[in-house]
Amino acid sequence: MNQSTLLTDSGDPQITDALAQLDAWRAVVVPSQEVARAIGHERGVRAVYVTAESPPTLREIVECAHAKGLPVIVGCKDDAARRRAIELRAEEWLRLPTDAEEIAGRVRSAIMRQLPGDAPNGDRAERAEQAQMLYDFMTGLPTLPVMIERMRPQIKERGELVVVYFNFVRYSKIEEIYGWEKLDAVLETTAAGVKEFLDGHSMQASRVMVSYTNDDDFIFFHVPPAGEARASEQQITTLVGRLQEHVAQRIEVAHGEDIAALFEIYVGLARVYYNPKLRLERLIYRGIREAATAAKSVEERERARRVDDLRTSLRDRAVYVDYHPIVVATTRQIFGYEALARGVMRSLRSPEVMFDVAAEADMIWELSRLCRSRAIEGIETRLGPGELLFINVDPHDFADPAFTEAEVKDPSRVVIEITERTAIKDYPKFRERLKAFRAQGYRFAVDDAGSGYAGLGSIANLEPDFIKLDISLINAIDSNFIKQNLVESMVKFANDHGAQVIAEGVERSEEFETVKSLGVHLVQGFFLHRPITAPVSGVIAVSPKA
Amino acid sequence: MDTLPPILVVDDNHDNAEIIRQYLEVRGYPITVAYSGDEALAVFDQVKPALVLLDVMMPGRDGWETCRLMKQHPTLGRKVRIVMVTALDEWSDKREALQTGADDYVEKPFDLPKLATTVQRNLAMLSAAS
Repeated sequence: MNQSTLLTDSGDPQITDALAQLDAWRAVVVPSQEVARAIGHERGVRAVYVTAESPPTLREIVECAHAKGLPVIVGCKDDAARRRAIELRAEEWLRLPTDAEEIAGRVRSAIMRQLPGDAPNGDRAERAEQAQMLYDFMTGLPTLPVMIERMRPQIKERGELVVVYFNFVRYSKIEEIYGWEKLDAVLETTAAGVKEFLDGHSMQASRVMVSYTNDDDFIFFHVPPAGEARASEQQITTLVGRLQEHVAQRIEVAHGEDIAALFEIYVGLARVYYNPKLRLERLIYRGIREAATAAKSVEERERARRVDDLRTSLRDRAVYVDYHPIVVATTRQIFGYEALARGVMRSLRSPEVMFDVAAEADMIWELSRLCRSRAIEGIETRLGPGELLFINVDPHDFADPAFTEAEVKDPSRVVIEITERTAIKDYPKFRERLKAFRAQGYRFAVDDAGSGYAGLGSIANLEPDFIKLDISLINAIDSNFIKQNLVESMVKFANDHGAQVIAEGVERSEEFETVKSLGVHLVQGFFLHRPITAPVSGVIAVSPKA
Repeated sequence: MDTLPPILVVDDNHDNAEIIRQYLEVRGYPITVAYSGDEALAVFDQVKPALVLLDVMMPGRDGWETCRLMKQHPTLGRKVRIVMVTALDEWSDKREALQTGADDYVEKPFDLPKLATTVQRNLAMLSAAS
């Protein structure tokens, strides 16, 4: 009979019991110092179990065993031994004293894990990479290759499959504005919402399956179960509609209306019929493409409708302004307001979306003019004495002949925010315009400062009075020391240049305390105030949100 | 018995790794050492470190790539604190570091007491979160 040998330096009687649980194994026991040599000449060795404590001996044993392609299990008396075992990359370790069950289990799994003796570490890393590729790390949903394997038997049996493509469109700027961490968080909410919905739905489990394409789209597969009629188009459309609603609601609850407005969900369907002559993977990928195209055309129709909405809004001056308070960090007194123009129509509520649509339809100047004039009305009607109005101006607006220094009666009440993100084409000319505005008493803020790699030099060029830090630097700043370091250097830079730093997007008390301690002068964010249509004044009692 | 959370030290320079190991071990931290990004990823699952001290300049998979992959680990990625061992002088270097998900950095050559402070403040964030 062909026996497998466990080579060991341990006389533990449990080993005999352990081997009895495995199939046809025997133990060969030798002293620790001789294990390495025994690996070379003992016959039938399939695994090595060592309890040697001396590090050089252990190292020698593991190296010899790995050179022969044998897995090693290390019995560890303490944590130091355990760490050594891990460092030496033994396939398995166990804590002593132990029992027969565990030894048998570790031997089995060590053999499973074992790699060819000459396999470099890269192979292990690669295996880990592959394991990660099968499930999306953020959402925990299976990726496509996993899904296709799961469905293979069912689709063969039923002969057809419905692909539902769930195109999760984000306004391209969301990551730019809020940073990738925020987008990750929103995608996670989405996935949780999708899973939650399907768990509570009758079409769930084996019949509807979800996959994730590692970006922001979801794919559902619906295979009609044996003995049941397939879902009608009508049923699927209803399902998808309810799902859309559910997810949108989850995002709004978790991340607020402003962020929810930046997401759209479009859905496309395609049917795939099984054909034994064709590879199933290709059939499914084709189905996915069809469904994606269908989703895309829904999106295009929707976009066209928004352009119409914008035209109507411009004609009716259907834009209103929210004022988001900016407060002094140390006193929490209101310093000024940022004007945020919003469309009256629901589809244009988000300023980002509205300007996105305008850019697409080439109506940026018209929209900017309308928003500016609406915002400026607030100086008279909304601002308290001494408070400033921050308005967003796109660098391209400076090329608009209708935008002049004379637009406001009292320019010293106005701070013009220019985003660092937009590339300024004609720098000398742009600076000329800034100078003319500045001469009239306008002040300037660099918005989204530090969002790019450019650093402080490009900010210095604009000689701003205020530096508004990019939201991505503020998000979770309390736990990231690199962000703290960046903000600190920005504050120092501002102090050296006679400017004030504004932290926007402050949502939690920890973030507020951190930016305050770093010397940030002014703060804006939901932790202190939400944007309001009628500004409040004075010191605000701040209670942390639940 | 370990009372302090485990730390994984990754540095292709054996001497550096040894210096850090000894310094932190004396302070009671359970230390595991890996000499490359690949090695670090290979033991990451088993060590389950609370914190990784990750050298940036390594042959093969460098510190940035290793950091990104660790942060994407399905169960450990969220919890682990990653401290890059490198000098981040420029604004752009720090921005790049944020992009990989790194939490902090210490400059080379080491100031060992500063290294210990950095380790402490990051582990403190961890216990605050749990």
